Amino acid sequence: MTELRALVRKEFACLFGSPTAYLTLTMIALVTALIFFDHLRIYNQILFLYSTTTMGGFDTGAIPDHINLWDRVFFPVMETLGLTLIGTIPLITMRVFAEEHARGTDELLISTHLTPSLVVLGKFLVTFLFVALVMIVSFLYPATAIEQGGLGVEHLAAVFVGLTLHGFAIAAIGLACSAYTSSQLIAAVSGWAVAFTLWDFSWANAFVSERTARFLEAIALHPRYGSFAEGIVDLDNIFYFVGIALVAMAIARFAFDLRRVGS
Amino acid sequence: MNAQGQPGSDAGTAAGVGIEARDLTRRFGPHVALDRLSLQVPPNETFGLMGANGAGKTTFIRLVTGYLLPSEGSVTVGGFSPAANPREVKARLGYVMETSRLYPELRVQGFLRFMAGARGLSGGAVSASVDRVIEQFQLADVAKRLIGNLSKGFEQRVSLAQAFLHDPPLVIVDEPTGGLDPVQRGDVRAVLHELQGDRTVLLCTHDMDEARALTSNVAILNDGRLVAHGTTHDVLDRGDPLALFRPHGETAA
Repeated sequence: MTELRALVRKEFACLFGSPTAYLTLTMIALVTALIFFDHLRIYNQILFLYSTTTMGGFDTGAIPDHINLWDRVFFPVMETLGLTLIGTIPLITMRVFAEEHARGTDELLISTHLTPSLVVLGKFLVTFLFVALVMIVSFLYPATAIEQGGLGVEHLAAVFVGLTLHGFAIAAIGLACSAYTSSQLIAAVSGWAVAFTLWDFSWANAFVSERTARFLEAIALHPRYGSFAEGIVDLDNIFYFVGIALVAMAIARFAFDLRRVGS
Repeated sequence: MNAQGQPGSDAGTAAGVGIEARDLTRRFGPHVALDRLSLQVPPNETFGLMGANGAGKTTFIRLVTGYLLPSEGSVTVGGFSPAANPREVKARLGYVMETSRLYPELRVQGFLRFMAGARGLSGGAVSASVDRVIEQFQLADVAKRLIGNLSKGFEQRVSLAQAFLHDPPLVIVDEPTGGLDPVQRGDVRAVLHELQGDRTVLLCTHDMDEARALTSNVAILNDGRLVAHGTTHDVLDRGDPLALFRPHGETAA
């Protein structure tokens, strides 16, 4: 554990020793705020239109059920945030392994008591902790809807868990991609490519058999994430995200063996 | 020696740590980087591993540290196999890589603390060992500076310092003066000279002056094969030692 603790400290120091972490955090906070306030503005305009139609001031009775803060603001923001995370998290994960390979410091790490498994575990742990921090920052604005939108804390917690697991899955995909290259650019692009491909397969329904379509839906990120966004915590979905993280860790671990024995 | 990682015959457990390679082969696809190398690095001496670029020196080191696994043959450190008993080997081994293989965004002290932790030291032992190497390698003035802002000479001192944190009986030093100016080279050689004594140092270099100044025995690799092995004087100061470095079939101009 001493070795793992040392690695975690070093990873945090490296992460916050470069501007990428601060830029990513700022970018996500800004994008979330922009999306949130834009949807809020449109929502307020719709409310204003209804209030003028009734001519007697603001009459909530005249507002249809589907015009509510949840459907008009919170849910679309969460949808966009899911995609925003796919666009931004690979910017963090791209350096994690690729930079070590490019510098040759992975060799230095392995010359210590750190085993390849510990290196992978430590790097995933730190990245997941950073992603959790990103989630908190991302969630600040939407969470303000809790009062106005009439959302329960449980519902909001479900959304937060879903968002965090979604972030972990993207981070895991990005880390696995980073483990196979010494180019940060290739790591980022391949991370984006895999995550965007996994995001949604509904476009393929017209081209594949029903069975394949069901399979594609089962491995897609969007339906799982969407389920959490609706406030549903399904164990299947939790297993799905945990499974992605474990598979990605195994893939990253295998990259070390490939370098040791491969040609 | 045995490949299962149990202490073998080479002197290494009580009276210092040696390295023993038997028919060690490492292939990268069709390329044979190391070809049936059998070599014994005796305990408690500074041993030079020489050869031109691409001769197989770094591959040999990577097999000793356990970063690479052999295609055939075996290597042991103090009787332990790096593949089967990595922890035993790592406890006995300090590794100085070529320059610039550090973390430029970390401060010197922070980096040394990390390396001490990664080598299994904890609590007060971390501070004690970091303070010791900072003093030993004269890093006090730069201890709080970012590694990325150091000169190459100081970078190499930091690299040397991390290898001595756990006071290992065997230190492997790969091209310690590569890319350094003559003054920095002199500084690093002086440091290496001071470190000689009750430990084994495997010095990997293609600089003959460095080998003459620091080593007692050398081995020369050429194209992955051992082409010369003996005392530094015998190997480097008789005949045409440069011929040993030239690729097979190539003659002096």
